[in-house]
Formats: sequence, structure tokens, C-alpha cells
Amino acid sequence: MDRILDLAQNRYFRLFMVALVVLSLQTTLFSDMRPFGVCLQVMLLLAASAGLARGSETGAIGGFMVGLMYDMVLTTPLGVGAAVFAAVGYLAGYVHSFVHEPNWWSKMVLSAGASATGMVLMPVALTVVGTEGVLTVNVIGIAFVVAVFNALFSLPFERVCRWALSEPKTVR
Amino acid sequence: MAGSTFTRRRIILLLALTTVMLVTMDLRGSGAVNGIRSLFGTVFRPVESVTRVVVRPVENAWNGITNYSDVLEENQRLKDLVAYGEGAKIGAIASVREAQELLALNGLPTLAGINSCSAQVVGESPSNYAQTVEINRGGECGIKVGMPVLNAAGLIGKVTDVYNGRAVVMLITDPSYSLAVKVVNTPPTTTTVPGAPGVTVDTTTTTTSTTTTTIPRTTTTGIPGFVPGATLAPTVTTNPSQVTSPNATVQLPTGTGDINKPGEANQSEITVPPGADLPLRETGALEGRGISKAPVVRFIENQPRFGEVNLGSPVVSAGGASSLAPPDIVIGTVSRVIKRSGSLGPLLEVKISANLDALNFVRVMLYQPSTEKVNAP
Repeated sequence: MDRILDLAQNRYFRLFMVALVVLSLQTTLFSDMRPFGVCLQVMLLLAASAGLARGSETGAIGGFMVGLMYDMVLTTPLGVGAAVFAAVGYLAGYVHSFVHEPNWWSKMVLSAGASATGMVLMPVALTVVGTEGVLTVNVIGIAFVVAVFNALFSLPFERVCRWALSEPKTVR
Repeated sequence: MAGSTFTRRRIILLLALTTVMLVTMDLRGSGAVNGIRSLFGTVFRPVESVTRVVVRPVENAWNGITNYSDVLEENQRLKDLVAYGEGAKIGAIASVREAQELLALNGLPTLAGINSCSAQVVGESPSNYAQTVEINRGGECGIKVGMPVLNAAGLIGKVTDVYNGRAVVMLITDPSYSLAVKVVNTPPTTTTVPGAPGVTVDTTTTTTSTTTTTIPRTTTTGIPGFVPGATLAPTVTTNPSQVTSPNATVQLPTGTGDINKPGEANQSEITVPPGADLPLRETGALEGRGISKAPVVRFIENQPRFGEVNLGSPVVSAGGASSLAPPDIVIGTVSRVIKRSGSLGPLLEVKISANLDALNFVRVMLYQPSTEKVNAP
């Protein structure tokens, strides 16, 4: 029982549980709802939010974990999404550390920027590992739509990540 | 600060190495990676199923708002299509049966001899860069990696991942998809309805006074140029020396003279199949180009015999020992011909018969290509 409690107190386990729910939303709701023909990327938003909530290092690890989970349900090579999402989490946290007094709109802007970067990095990474036909002009439109959506939903996601990635003491 | 930088570098290095290791293992087809994916699927699928049930009303509301006018238009279009298809179906069924009988008579394999497993599409790819769908049948049905997947309209893709109770299908628009195909190019024909007013009859004058008339061709299929029964050579009485048009089938008027008396016979008993009128076939490789672009057929040779590729020419799977699909599965029609210089053959854009945006019930043909079979160690 103590072990289960210890596990529940682990912040990365909590992030895993949150990511599992978000992933199920990604594969059901958001793969069906496609505004402007674009599949919205809430898993990417989760990775960026991890960086915004707890800094670049935690963002990188959290992003890697979220990306790896996403890779599990995709047919793309395992590890590509993890690397990209880790970069997004790291980037969001790193740039956020330079903001003097973070407020709601700065988080939205950073979330949008990190998401757009991730949507460009993903086809680049896929091309590097040998997937053809993904690096097209459409990437710009996709990145724009995903960035706008992720900016709108960044605040609740950041709050969820702040809770999930909090230290055990804070939880108690 | 120095310690923090060291930790950060160590984390980045660790993540980078893990990524390289995972990508390498996956690209080399490691069984461990498939095992991890399968294990994760076991944990994730129940959560996904619950979420699917919970969010269905939201999905329905969204689809109602965004697709209402499209659905109305599609409904109208489908009603027209049903009316059109009713007539075509009868002719098509007869042709297919005839073809299957002929193939069976000659001991050739047919699609009817391959078992299949019906499934329903339960999810699309959540990615913007992969064209895959998920179906609700898997290994328990005999589905294996590489098996072709069809719906009522034609080929839609191949199985890439198989789990218990589900499988992932890569659509033919995916850039990673490639398949050997045949393009059935036919000479231009006139589409007519027998008995209808204004039936077109092509007339070719000959050097003699004989009037040469081509047999009106009746097209009952929705695919132009793909004429049911067209490969069956009609038995016509001809005088080859009088034919001036290579594509013309000649029929002399029924003679009245005695064929046993030299000089009086004007009716020959020699029957010549109109070989020049048979559809010409050329093989190529169909390649997907992503969801926004039509797939193309490459390696169509620039042969004078094959001639200009007609728009609307049917594209069917070529079959063969190393092909991903058995022969003669309908894929689509040629929608655009891109001519290329030199000896390069034309590049053909293909309009896929199946509507990949609205997949529901599909059929997995339990035909595993030799190239996809896993060799026993």
C-alpha cells in the first residue's frame, strides 16, 4: 500500500496518468474534430505546458515521456515524437525562464510558439529518419492552426501540469 | 550553477541517446519495440474506450455543426449514385461471374478464392503526417501485417500493425505506400445505350464499296473505358484486307452467295477476334503522396503500342509473386497525365475509387504477400 502511495506521489507517474487521459482525447475527440482540416495536437500542448509549469529540465523529461506515449499509438518510428516533444518542453521552459514577470498572455504566446516549433520539427525529424512526403508547404498552415488552438488552451493545461509535476511535499 | 548545467547536459545527453536507441531499434524491426507497443496498447485501450463513449456526444455535436450542409449534399449525390449504380450493378455482376468462370476454367487464381475478414474502422490517425486508420479486428481474425484492405469501392491500403482485437491500416495515400499496378488503357470508345435514340455509329469508308461499320459498344460501368465483357472478343465475320482503320471491327453484310462456289462467296467463315480493340495493359508502381495529393503511378513505359493514356482509364492491382495485393483489385482511375521528356514514361495521377475520408466497413483479404512474411529463425 505504501508503495502505491509512493508511486502516486511521484510527479512523473502523475504526469503519466494525466497524459494517458489526454492521449485518449487526442485519439478520439481531436482526431475527429479537425478545424480547417488540421488535427489539433493536445499532446504537444501538454509537453509545452510541462516546460512552462516546471522549467526546461522537467519540461524536457516530461515532454519526452508524453512524446513517447504518443509514439506508441502512431505508426511513426518510436522515439521521433519523444525527441521532438522533449525539445518543445525544454524550449518552452527555457524561454519562459527569461520572462521577468510571467502572466497569462506571456504563457499563451510561449505555448503557441513552442507548439508551432514542434509542428515544424516533427516533419523535419520524420524526414531525417527516412519518411518521405511529410515536409511540405502544408506544414506552415498546420503549425499556425495548432499554435492558435494551443494558445487558447494553454492556461488550463499549464495549471494541470503544475499540479501533476509538483513535489510530493506540495501535494500533502 | 555548474552542477545545474552538468545535470541539464546529462539529461539532454540521456534523452538524445535514448531517442537514437529507440529509433534504431524500431527501424530495424526489433521485437522488443513491438512488445512495448502492444503492452502500452493493453493499458491504453480501456482508457480510450471510456473516453470514446464520453466524448461521443461532443463529436456528434461538432459534426452536426460543421458537416450538416455537406451531409445534405452528399445525401442528394448518393441518391443519384444509387440510381445510377443499380443499372451498372447487374452488368458488372454478370461480367465478374463470367470472368471468374473463365479464370476457374483455366485454373487461374481469383479474388473469390481468397478468404477475408470484415472489420469496422474505429479511429483515424491522430497525427497530421500519417495516413492510417484503426480497425476493430486483429490477430484473432487471422489478420497479419501486409494484408490488403478493401472497401466496397476498392483498395484502401494495407495492414501495418496487428494486435489482439485491433489493427492499423496504412492508407494508399500514405507516402510510404507503394504497390504494383496495371493501367488498362483502351482506345477511345463511344458510350451508347442500345435502343436509345441517337445511338452513335462510327462509319469508316473503305476502298471498296463495302460499308464498314463498327459495332456500337455499350458501356455499363461507372468507370469509363472499363467495359464489362470488352475483353471477350465478339465473333464477327471479317475480311481483313478491307479494313482501313486499325481500331475498327468490320462486319460485312450477310452474304447470299454460295461459299462453296469460287468467286460467288461473299461471306467468309474465318472469324478474327478484333485484337486491336482489346484493352492494352501497362504496369507501373502506385505511390502515395500524402493526404492532400493524389497518388501517382510511375514507370509507365512510353511505348507506342500503349499509346496515349486516356483520362479515366482504370487502375487495378497487378498481382504477382512479390506484390502486396492479389491481381485485379480496383484502385481507381487516371485523373491526370503528366508527360515527361525523353524516354521517361508519363506520370499518372490516380483518383482513388474508395472515399478515404468516409471509411466505415472494410474487408481485410487474408492474403499475405511473400514480401511481408516473417521468416522463421
